[in-house]
Amino acid sequence: MKQLFIKTHEVWLVTLMASFMSKNSETKQSLNDFSDILFRHFTWLERELIKSGVEYDYNRDSVPIKVDSLRVILDNIVERLNTMELMLPNVTDDALRFRIQTDWEYMKYQIGNLADEEVTAFSAKREYKDFNLSNEATDALTLFLFEESYKEYELIMIYNYLKANSNDDYLNKIFQILIDESFFHLKSFGQMMAEMGILAVPRVIHESIYKVESLEEFLKDGIDEELAAKEQCKELSDAVVKEAKELAKFFDFINYQENYHIALMQDALRHFEEKGAE
Amino acid sequence: MEIDNEILEHMRNPYNYGRIDEASSIGIGENPQNGEKVIIYINVDESDSEATISQIAFEAIACMTTVVAGSVITKEADGLTFSKVEELIAVTLGMLEHVDPEQAACSEMVAVALKAAIDGYLLSKEKGEKQTLIYKIEQSCSPQMEYSKQEERE
Repeated sequence: MKQLFIKTHEVWLVTLMASFMSKNSETKQSLNDFSDILFRHFTWLERELIKSGVEYDYNRDSVPIKVDSLRVILDNIVERLNTMELMLPNVTDDALRFRIQTDWEYMKYQIGNLADEEVTAFSAKREYKDFNLSNEATDALTLFLFEESYKEYELIMIYNYLKANSNDDYLNKIFQILIDESFFHLKSFGQMMAEMGILAVPRVIHESIYKVESLEEFLKDGIDEELAAKEQCKELSDAVVKEAKELAKFFDFINYQENYHIALMQDALRHFEEKGAE
Repeated sequence: MEIDNEILEHMRNPYNYGRIDEASSIGIGENPQNGEKVIIYINVDESDSEATISQIAFEAIACMTTVVAGSVITKEADGLTFSKVEELIAVTLGMLEHVDPEQAACSEMVAVALKAAIDGYLLSKEKGEKQTLIYKIEQSCSPQMEYSKQEERE
């Protein structure tokens, strides 16, 4: 089951990346929905591993996604699911096994029917919409998107790990909100990267990052990181405001969203400290 | 960081990113100011007269600039003898004076991690048990050595 867990992690990412590659809104939506479902499979399999007392981590192979044609990556998803079918009997929970199997069957059927498209997500053109950004602003935006897409993926995995391994309902509700928020950011940044021709899969996360030794320290550091991310958004917004007002507004919007994340993390920290004091 | 197509490729698909299970040696470079880390894994071939890196991988708990530095430096180090690796490290550290401090710290962290990996390999041979070295970066670029014995990864 551990191998199936790892392969589900990989196919979730490939499907998410494929959704960014597509320019057809229906195809994009289907792939986006499928990637969400695959992520849920991932969390359910994680729950099974924990219930069975199996040690696990989020290590995985790198997932190559650079293609010229969407059909190539769609076929790759189907091929991955076919290979994973051989691992499915290792899932001992009948209901979960049936659920995953039937989801895959539907996904494979639908993916098989999706139309091919030319993929420009790897063109490296580094232009966004019709905005005429300076080289400096383009470099800043490129670096920001690489840093932050990784950061959002990292946050999803950290909060997911903490949630999976905690029985504290109050904290888990906060972690779930933060997971949902990071998903929105990851999808926004991934989409921008695809449009700029610089799409990339976030790198593998080192286990020391999510297997946190002290939740208190993690939350304190996390608040500092959110503050730094706010600053980066502000700097980027300022850098592009003259050439691309719409883009500046987007980064302001992300910046203001971070305020609530900070408040949630402060709430989690307070709860954790109060609980420790009891 | 100025980004051209070559840098973009390192960002998108860093060379040698990941880990080597059962590596011959693991070296760690650490920035004590912010806790950022680079972990370098090497396998060593001693069939010739001098030890050679036969496989290399790295992980970065750090920013994208460090990832790019890790990709560039490990690509260069792959297949080199230890003496050539020492030269590569010296050249890298020597160039840092001309780079802005933040970028210098990123490259230095990779260079000292590589140094820790080869020093750790030699020390392990001498002591007869596996040694993982952690070198911390400094402004002066001279690594401060700290010992830590670490059990092999299962």
